[in-house]
Amino acid sequence: MSAPTHVPFRNPGWAGNTGEFDLTEADVRGTDFVGERPLDGGHESAAPSYPYMLPDKDPEAVLFEGPYRERFEKIRSRYPTARGALIPALNLAQELRGHISPETMDEVAALLGLASAEVRGTVTFYTMYNKRPVGRFLIQVCTNISCSLCKGEEVLDAFLRHTDTELGETSEDGDFTVIEVECLAACGFPVAVQINSRYYENVLPDDVSALLQRLREHGE
Amino acid sequence: MAYPYVHEREVRVISRNFGDPAARTLDGYRERDGYRGLERALEIGPAAVIDEVKASGLRGRGGAGFPTGLKWSFMPKAAVKPHYLLCNADESEPGTFKDRELIRWDPHQLIEGCLIAAYAMGSRHAYIYLRGEFFEASQVIARAVEEAYEGGFAGEDILGSGTHIDVTVHVGAGAYICGEETGLMNSLEGRRGEPRVKPPFPAAVGVYSMPTTINNVETLAAVPHIVRYGGEWYRQWGTDKSPGTKLFCVSGHVEKPGNYELPLGFPMMELIEDVCGGVAEGRALKSVIPGGSSVPLMDVEDCRECTLCYEGVEAAGSMLGCASVIVMDDRTNIVREVRRMVQFYAHESCGQCTPCREGTSWMTQVLRRIEAGRGAESDLDTLLDMSAQMTGTTICVLSDSAAAPVVSSIEKFRDEYLALIHGGATAEVA
Repeated sequence: MSAPTHVPFRNPGWAGNTGEFDLTEADVRGTDFVGERPLDGGHESAAPSYPYMLPDKDPEAVLFEGPYRERFEKIRSRYPTARGALIPALNLAQELRGHISPETMDEVAALLGLASAEVRGTVTFYTMYNKRPVGRFLIQVCTNISCSLCKGEEVLDAFLRHTDTELGETSEDGDFTVIEVECLAACGFPVAVQINSRYYENVLPDDVSALLQRLREHGE
Repeated sequence: MAYPYVHEREVRVISRNFGDPAARTLDGYRERDGYRGLERALEIGPAAVIDEVKASGLRGRGGAGFPTGLKWSFMPKAAVKPHYLLCNADESEPGTFKDRELIRWDPHQLIEGCLIAAYAMGSRHAYIYLRGEFFEASQVIARAVEEAYEGGFAGEDILGSGTHIDVTVHVGAGAYICGEETGLMNSLEGRRGEPRVKPPFPAAVGVYSMPTTINNVETLAAVPHIVRYGGEWYRQWGTDKSPGTKLFCVSGHVEKPGNYELPLGFPMMELIEDVCGGVAEGRALKSVIPGGSSVPLMDVEDCRECTLCYEGVEAAGSMLGCASVIVMDDRTNIVREVRRMVQFYAHESCGQCTPCREGTSWMTQVLRRIEAGRGAESDLDTLLDMSAQMTGTTICVLSDSAAAPVVSSIEKFRDEYLALIHGGATAEVA
């Protein structure tokens, strides 16, 4: 890697910087195939998956209205019990609000006719629910075995250094929160880093500054 | 083809479309003979489909290696209650990275496998449970499922046969334990992903208390080919006890890491030396974990004669698991890497069973102490004692999995522990 400030960070999302590789990033990620996903979730079969992560979160967003209400109704229709729809409904709430506060848990509980305690039990079990607000970019660095063998902890340190934060803390400009994550299932292309919804692979300590610059300028 | 590393010794059955973006679309998949397996299944009927899968000898690719056809035959024949098929795409075993590739390069292959399996077991609804981190893969499979509905391959009256099967893409929220089948069922019901006591087994009382079968992504991806070409055809590869091909996820210190589809029974050293281009930077091999972080470590001696099939790896003292081969070179600090794995299990323990909840954390603390050069020789006995109490004493095998690398590393790399214990943290362990 040459001086990272002059090299636009290039990563097709897999094998990228190292493989015998002639596909574009869009080819690898399947962007053209997926296209622009509708906010209402499209067909009911797909509604429980995330259409996309909104760049701007609104902690006060209404649960749920407009196309999101439609998506919520579609989700509800795909599970035989109200409780079955809980995790997709929480995912949808987090997509809008950016994190799951105790108030959000109560609202989701009311929407599905569940007890608040049941919802709280579920939310606190899963690592992807942010229990408090995070930065515009949530950076999750894998340091599990395969990444650990290939400088995972050095990459984590580089992210912390370049964002001038401690683990789990949000940078002063509100842009970055860096956390350690367990295996992302991209072990062949270490170090694996997930930033919001996107995977970045083959990330080395020297790439970090250019990657952060790209995020600041062009978003995820 | 562009899939970054392809090797001439590969047999690309389920990975045939890797690196080929045009195969993602329904049209592209049809042009590559897609959905022929489903057509044949509808022709021959559910019982014959199960027979074909039984004849192929296909074994579950999620780690346990249970015969798939037999598993399917446990489902009640009469559909008195709703039956469910769950596709386990909660891929999270450290070292494993095959399912995401299968989903994002060839989503229709997986959907076809789900439809055939659901049809064979009289299931009206299949859920594809993806781990929450797989946003990108979930978008690809969600789009493909929509295409399958539009094309008449899913939903009501599939291909005019009168069969009705719904497919739903479900995205989780981050928990390793949801890859355990009963944990996954609880998670799909909106609960904490805590594993359930068995029996009752899922085929009797599964998700929503209904008969349920759970299959791994890779298992279901092989099904369309088996149904289309027949069980005997699939047996042309592999060994008698481990028929067929398997994706090997090679990571760690090799020149060319990646997914390689090879016949089962492939020699381990040839995988590392030939297919993967050898240990990275020309270093020497120290240890291999053949099946993801939950299986015992092997030393070089174990690797030499080892063939990569269920029985071959077992004979070498470990387990094939999901064939996630993690390679470590001679500079690796084994104690540090074992500590990292156990720390993972401590993080992911659901907390129901005391031996696991407490044991994984205690082991992490003891390993950290040794790693920092503050250990004592008696710590090794403590670790082995804890491992014994954590094996076979809990609802699921997470705790057994945490014990496996500890026990095997003390057995095979005791010198490294002793060097840290007697020489301090800066001791030359490699």
